Amino acid sequence: MRLTPLSRLVPTSPRAPLHGVDRADPAADVWGGLMAAAQDGHAGAYQRLLSEVSEWLHRYFQRRLPPAEVDDAVQETLLAVHRRRHTYDPQLPLAPWLAAIARRKWVDQLRSLGRRPTEEIAETLSVGDHESSVTSASVLASLLDELRPAQAQVIRLVKLHGHSIEDASRETGLSPSAVKMNIHRGLARLTALVEKSRDVE
Amino acid sequence: MSNDALILNLAAGLTPVRRRSMTREALLLLAVAVVEGALIVAAGLMRPDMAQMIGSSFMTWKIGSLAILAGLSCTVAMRSFSPHRSPRRGLRLAVGVAGLAVTVGAFLAFTADIQQPLIARVSPARGMLCAVSIIVLALPLLAVLRAMMRRAAPVFPQSSAFAAGLAAGTSGALVFTLCCPMNDPLYVLIWYCVGCTAVAALGRWLLPRHFRL
Repeated sequence: MRLTPLSRLVPTSPRAPLHGVDRADPAADVWGGLMAAAQDGHAGAYQRLLSEVSEWLHRYFQRRLPPAEVDDAVQETLLAVHRRRHTYDPQLPLAPWLAAIARRKWVDQLRSLGRRPTEEIAETLSVGDHESSVTSASVLASLLDELRPAQAQVIRLVKLHGHSIEDASRETGLSPSAVKMNIHRGLARLTALVEKSRDVE
Repeated sequence: MSNDALILNLAAGLTPVRRRSMTREALLLLAVAVVEGALIVAAGLMRPDMAQMIGSSFMTWKIGSLAILAGLSCTVAMRSFSPHRSPRRGLRLAVGVAGLAVTVGAFLAFTADIQQPLIARVSPARGMLCAVSIIVLALPLLAVLRAMMRRAAPVFPQSSAFAAGLAAGTSGALVFTLCCPMNDPLYVLIWYCVGCTAVAALGRWLLPRHFRL
């Protein structure tokens, strides 16, 4: 199976088209206008903006996170947009501003995924949305290819396939502490890869 | 809470906001630096031979390098507080400028006609005092930059924090040139670098703590 390169999966440049939001897309300019109105206190414009942005964020995170994490990431991003709305400059398009915040929240979500106990994540992967699961798996697979094989293997076993640390230890022949260490370092490396892939500018 | 309920809540509680302005922030930083400089002058701590020294190559190098670095790093830090901008390119440029300033300083240090042993030129006891003074003068600027960063939306908080630390350190050093009596480029090279690096490290460590986008 041919996987998409990491750089094509991470919409980091404001000049690059984003999934569903493009600088040339008239919707993006509409969003800028709505946000400018929201900064002046127009609740109707703000509600419309957040509804449209929420749909885009949902698609954005569906491609990058396990399905159970998507809603959390969307809400975290909406809250960040709300708290930092005064930093948007109406002279500039909204899409790069939004994409940068969403990307930061993606990184934060990856970090929190690494900190959580492994057992919580096991049952969250069997969901009905087949397309988003496939896309998400494809993104994760290409990210995992960037890791050391031992790290990628234990992350696949424990975080994606839901095995316990002990099962992964038996399967890989590593000690349980080595499995935990590989998961921890692998997730840290994944986060660093995402962060360093390309600048926003 | 569902996304729709969250959106309704956020829209219901919407209030007008004052847009972030980089000009306003730059003026605030400048005002803090000017107040610090004015306090030094008012306290009678300004070096008495400043008028004679200002045209020398040593002072041109010292003030020129610090002014360029302070202006550049302040700009990089403030720009990076917006999600549109990454500080990395600006930081690379600032590090390049700092490297160039150090090279020119090293050239001046080794061509200076100063007949003193090395330890007397470096003067560690006095140098530590200078470095600490730079740090003290940088702290109010760092506090202002911290408040700006917490209110803004940097998406690379660690790099922005380092840029802010560098900005505070070089600005503090620039203010300190008003009262620093030393005329040896080697001394300035060592102890100003120590002061600026310490503030940059402090900023990198302190500013991202408890920061949440």
